[in-house]
Amino acid sequence: MRPSTDTLDERLAALSRALADRTPPATVDRAIAAAIARSGRGTAVAAARPFERWLAWPIALAASIALIGVLLRESPPELPAPDGRLAAASTKFLPVVPQAEIARSTDAWVVPARMPRMALAGLGLPVDPALASETIDAELLVRSDGAVLALRFVR
Amino acid sequence: MPHPAAHLTDRTQATDASLAARLALGDAAALDPLYRRHKGQVYRFALLWSGSPSTAADVTQDVFVHLLTRAGDYDPARGSLSPWLVGIARNFVRRRAGCVESPAGDDRDDESTPPSAIDRRTPETVLLGNAELETLRKAIASLPPHYRDVLVLVELTERSYAEAATICGIELNTVRSRLFRARALLARRLDLDSSVRSAGSGAA
Repeated sequence: MRPSTDTLDERLAALSRALADRTPPATVDRAIAAAIARSGRGTAVAAARPFERWLAWPIALAASIALIGVLLRESPPELPAPDGRLAAASTKFLPVVPQAEIARSTDAWVVPARMPRMALAGLGLPVDPALASETIDAELLVRSDGAVLALRFVR
Repeated sequence: MPHPAAHLTDRTQATDASLAARLALGDAAALDPLYRRHKGQVYRFALLWSGSPSTAADVTQDVFVHLLTRAGDYDPARGSLSPWLVGIARNFVRRRAGCVESPAGDDRDDESTPPSAIDRRTPETVLLGNAELETLRKAIASLPPHYRDVLVLVELTERSYAEAATICGIELNTVRSRLFRARALLARRLDLDSSVRSAGSGAA
């Protein structure tokens, strides 16, 4: 008797099961760990700069608190695009606290937001006075205590 | 206090997105949890697609080194991280195989991988310990790349049709038609009944 197509399904399922627990060899694990270590050294050097440690961080923290205040007062909680989806990001994330602070923040979330351009000044970003009253869409990397760690602009 | 909009994404997705964001900001340590979380699915996709453990290992390493340096390219608004990573793996494994992207409507059955390019002596041959599965693995590895894509994604790694469409950059209907043809071609090569009763089943 000729096998039915169930045999193909069963064979595919058996192959999938047979490989379900396969993971890359330890050599790949070690290569990735080495790549992380190489990149991490750059972060550690940057984190030790006196400016970031003594001046930038307090300024950024104060700006973050001010920005959160603005967001909670003026921004709607959900900002989907007209088609119902979140807008596509158009820039890289810009840190507003030192890298070391971001590295320590294991409980951060990406949150969409709409804010007045003027709020960017509080984060130390340049603002064109002629456009200060306009709003912009952004995604914020926010820690669980509400501190803004970074942001990027979306279209 | 979390921002009120934090509920827009589920915890897993948000965690991936936040780790990717930290990575993009230069926090290399954020790669470690992402690697541990996603290395298996990236490796298995490359293994099933290429039929070669060494190629799969190289592709997995390439994908996560790419993530380390290009995390800023990932946009959580466009979808979760997992299909994005598998999409990168697909590009790398196809590049290693010397494949060119075929247009969405160009579903030719005559682009099979030459037998000499298929790894016939892999640890899986021994580990599977099953001649029938080994025959199936070789048959899959010999399928034309555009059929192998959808077959591996949908039938063997349980991706939805929508995810497969996103990963391959093709329309949903193209996923369906390629999967149908892939199953028929596979059945023919395995000398099975090619009526492909359940080709339209699976997650949409």
